[in-house]
Amino acid sequence: MKKIILLPLVAASAAFITGCGTNAHYVETGGRQSIVSIGQINDQDFIAAANAAASDLIASGVLDKAQHSPAVLVLSRIVNNTGQQIDTDLLTQKIRIAVLNSGKATFTTTMGLGGKAEDQMAKGLQQQEEFMNDSKPQPLPDFSLSGKIIETVARAGNTSQSTYSFQLTLTDPKTGNAVWAIEKQITKQGTRSSVGF
Amino acid sequence: MKTKLAGLVAITLAVAGCHNTMNSVENAQKEGQRNMISDQRVVTDTGLSRAVSVVGVNTAMTPGGVLRVQVELLNRTRSLHPFSYRFEWFDANGMQVGSGLSPVVPDQIEGGESKFISAVAPSPICKDFRLKLLEAH
Repeated sequence: MKKIILLPLVAASAAFITGCGTNAHYVETGGRQSIVSIGQINDQDFIAAANAAASDLIASGVLDKAQHSPAVLVLSRIVNNTGQQIDTDLLTQKIRIAVLNSGKATFTTTMGLGGKAEDQMAKGLQQQEEFMNDSKPQPLPDFSLSGKIIETVARAGNTSQSTYSFQLTLTDPKTGNAVWAIEKQITKQGTRSSVGF
Repeated sequence: MKTKLAGLVAITLAVAGCHNTMNSVENAQKEGQRNMISDQRVVTDTGLSRAVSVVGVNTAMTPGGVLRVQVELLNRTRSLHPFSYRFEWFDANGMQVGSGLSPVVPDQIEGGESKFISAVAPSPICKDFRLKLLEAH
């Protein structure tokens, strides 16, 4: 009799504990519920920096002054001057998407640093097209986008503060002059636990 | 009795002095003319609307031919208030455009401060906008 009562109770308890044992849930990427880390760049930081850069670039009107319409951009080096390993595509791809969607510019992927194209297949097909049709080689892009991410850290007692500076520059390769630049700074502050690292 | 009263007065003065509000100075004869627009507001958080109240909205076109929106906010309380905001954009057909880079922006406003927040539309096709104001999480 006791076994008949106890067995379903044990089974139900096990199911309850298993079902309620996890609090994993979805949150909006870059939203208010995102985790804020003082010592590293979070998703919402990349989104904020990319949004600031793309908005300012689109609003400036510099892309409308290019030789081509829409202007042709190439991505150059984004230097990581932080203490973390960062894939800078987390920043540049967001900027590229925003600028492409604005219709103000396109990006060439058959040119890259050290002659290495971002899209090797596309470059190969382009060269084949130029050879077969005896057409002119790809002209220089109108602008090149380069940048740097810098981390500065400050501490006072138990309070830590990190500032991430996202610096971007648009250069005219024909003149070598910078025609647009922006610096977006994101500062995060918090207290460290008195126990631990 | 007198000691208790003196203590109570001291505490009240100390608490009152902890709120730092903002003073400001500006040109009384404004040179720039803002293109103010009439706006429609939905308030579900009266506390937030007092700390981060919308004074006015103006728009302009950027040299790049996209819509820029500027909103003036006023903190009608005496305390610093953190908040978040997000701009949403719509095309001529009322369809939402480019939500990928419409981030939630954390910000704060000092007690008594009047400040401006602004945003640039992601594309020249954007003709309309909506601003969402939220309490900081």
